[in-house]
Amino acid sequence: MSLILLLTQQMSLYLVIVYLVSKTPLFKLFAETSPRLPHKIFMYLIFSSFCIMATYFGEQTSGAIANTRAMGAVLGGLLGGPVTGFLVGLTGGLHRYSMGGFTEIACAISTTLEGLSAGMISFYLRRTDKSELIYNPLLVCLVTFYAEMMQMSIILLVARPFDDAWELVRQIAPPMLLVNSVGAALFMSMIRDQKTMFDKLSSSFSTKALKIAERSVGLLSKGFNEESSSRVAQIVIEETNVGAVAITDREKLLAFIGIGADHHLPGTPISSKITLEAINQNKVMFADGVEMPYSCSISSNCRLGSSLVIPLRSDTEVIGTIKLYEPKNKLFLNINRTLGEGIARLLSNQILYGRFEQQQNLLTQAELKLLQAQVNPHFLFNALNTISAIIKRDPDMSKQLLQQLSQFLRINLKRTTGLVTLGDELDHIASYLTIEKARFIDKLQVSIAIPESLYHCKVPAFTLQPIIENAVKHGTSHMIEQGQIKVTGKLKNDVLELEVTDNAGLYQPVEGSEGLGMNLVHKRIQNIFGEQYGVTVECEADELTRVTIRLPIENTEISNMDTRS
Amino acid sequence: MITCLIVDDELFAREELADLLGQEHDIEIVGQCANAIEALQSIAKDKPQLIFLDIQMPRISGMELIAMLDPDNMPKIVFVTAYDEFAVKAFDNHAFDYLLKPIDAERLSKTLTRVRKNLTPQIMDPITPKRLEHIPCYSGNKLKVIAIQDVEYVFSDLSGVHVASAKGKVHTQLTLKVFEEKTPLVRCHRQYLISPKAIAEIELLDTGAEVTTHSGDKVPVSRRYLKSLKQLFGFQ
Repeated sequence: MSLILLLTQQMSLYLVIVYLVSKTPLFKLFAETSPRLPHKIFMYLIFSSFCIMATYFGEQTSGAIANTRAMGAVLGGLLGGPVTGFLVGLTGGLHRYSMGGFTEIACAISTTLEGLSAGMISFYLRRTDKSELIYNPLLVCLVTFYAEMMQMSIILLVARPFDDAWELVRQIAPPMLLVNSVGAALFMSMIRDQKTMFDKLSSSFSTKALKIAERSVGLLSKGFNEESSSRVAQIVIEETNVGAVAITDREKLLAFIGIGADHHLPGTPISSKITLEAINQNKVMFADGVEMPYSCSISSNCRLGSSLVIPLRSDTEVIGTIKLYEPKNKLFLNINRTLGEGIARLLSNQILYGRFEQQQNLLTQAELKLLQAQVNPHFLFNALNTISAIIKRDPDMSKQLLQQLSQFLRINLKRTTGLVTLGDELDHIASYLTIEKARFIDKLQVSIAIPESLYHCKVPAFTLQPIIENAVKHGTSHMIEQGQIKVTGKLKNDVLELEVTDNAGLYQPVEGSEGLGMNLVHKRIQNIFGEQYGVTVECEADELTRVTIRLPIENTEISNMDTRS
Repeated sequence: MITCLIVDDELFAREELADLLGQEHDIEIVGQCANAIEALQSIAKDKPQLIFLDIQMPRISGMELIAMLDPDNMPKIVFVTAYDEFAVKAFDNHAFDYLLKPIDAERLSKTLTRVRKNLTPQIMDPITPKRLEHIPCYSGNKLKVIAIQDVEYVFSDLSGVHVASAKGKVHTQLTLKVFEEKTPLVRCHRQYLISPKAIAEIELLDTGAEVTTHSGDKVPVSRRYLKSLKQLFGFQ
């Protein structure tokens, strides 16, 4: 009976060690389902030392040693595989051999075989995709039991004199079988629990991170400002349940949600020292409220007690921070610390993407300006020539044309690149066409059939005019017969469809200069409204070219956005 | 009197020039044309001595128009251009007369002075295209421009010159001589030119040969041109 207690004592020591290890990152090495070489080495070292310690601390009983060596060998084999198991067993066995006694050979052989056979079982389980069984305490218990039975048999077979061996086995078999099996099972159950907990934790962590990512996607890419920041802060606080969340740019607070929102007011300059430090040093700052005290820089009554400040980066430059707070009565969870850094990376990427998009927009607008500048001199030149040709013969008409030309230029000059009504765009087109018709007279016929009910629809400025100009410049002006241009418009499920059809049929997609105007209109529509809209062209050679512009209307959110940018 | 033709696709530009020329006592305007096809007709009919020719015109430019004219009946040409920098350089290099739009009355009168002194047409070859890409034609009253690669053969008869393509036969103002000089078509008969690409079959006859085109038309080959035609395909 005392032997059982002694062995249990010994086993308890190991369990305490394992418990301690399970609290360190080293624990992950136990839980690794498909161990790699460094892990195997780690297992070998750990379990070999278990075996050796077990032999040392074992009880001298009738010239032999009652011990818990089997635990080390079996666990080493199960967790490390056949090779590791064999080596653990061999090491433990050789060590045991060096200690002498009449069972030295029997013990050396049996320990080696224990490690090896546990390893074989583990190998088989992994092969048959039942690797989770390895962590099953009951299985471990049975394997150890079987291993100890084997040891006893080997002692009986190998150790001489047989009578002594028999006597020994009678004494040590029950306690060793019991303690080793139970101990190994307990050990494994500890590892399993830790593993389950860790898995749960990391899956809830990933779920949180994914949820935040999903909900905040696209928010900051629309612009890093008070509005978008406060929406992001709201999402973060809902998903993390921290006390408060703040977002700042380099100078001021953009959003603050949660405890203390009464005195942390968006728009006020940053006053907290650790925030400024985080910005200046591009470093994550953490005031846990214990080792590094946190106190609100605004109000002494603030209930917030700890704060994590993470810089938001665009490339390498810090453009702001995101801050997570917990109140004084709550601990700042480690998981929220890691999560916070993840959120900051996510937001940084979004801001970067937004800036990239904005630059793309600017580029398109610059291209558009360039296009306006390119078109005008040509058109202007022709217009002036036409006016000059008729000025003597028909002064009234030339005066009228000059007025139209000046009207056209006025609109071109003052017009922004934002949204205008379709009616405005058509006025602009009318000025343009008056001049072109004066140049081509009966060779150009234009019919515009757009219902007046659509005149209030908002379209990007210079959407229709460049397309009509293209139809004249690259289409009807090359015709010997009369050129006809038809412009129609209709509304289909909140999508405005404008069609410009000429009867020249000369569209050639490869022609660079022709592409420019149309491409810009297309790119701009896609930029503002999305990929499903834009400009499409169909052409029947020498018969017709039809350009269709498709864009959504009544989308106030989008139109507001555009005027802002 | 100098007979003159105005060719410009813009009505007001033609009228302005006509107004200016109307003040000259020795200039008679025999016609105004809005494109190259009309111009070819008018040149053949009215045989003007002088042409004011805009070089930017739809489908067939002023330069192409000149390439289509029979060099033997070439009138004197004064080019008119709005902004063709390249052409202006060429005019300067070869001392051709040209006017810039909008037309300056003083410059016009200087040009007319030069023209009165010397109405001999200049050799236009240096600035006109060597090869014609488009053939102006008409069937009935409809104007048509046929790409040269679509032409199978051309022939002349009493009513004029005809262009045959897979889509049928149309009339043209161009002479066989112009086709022979400015297109890949080869002469196979006194009245016929054929595109080598269009030949599907050559049948030898006592009188020469007969070509069948890809469209199934028969084109006669006289003995005089048979040898060169055979050589074109590597037959001796």
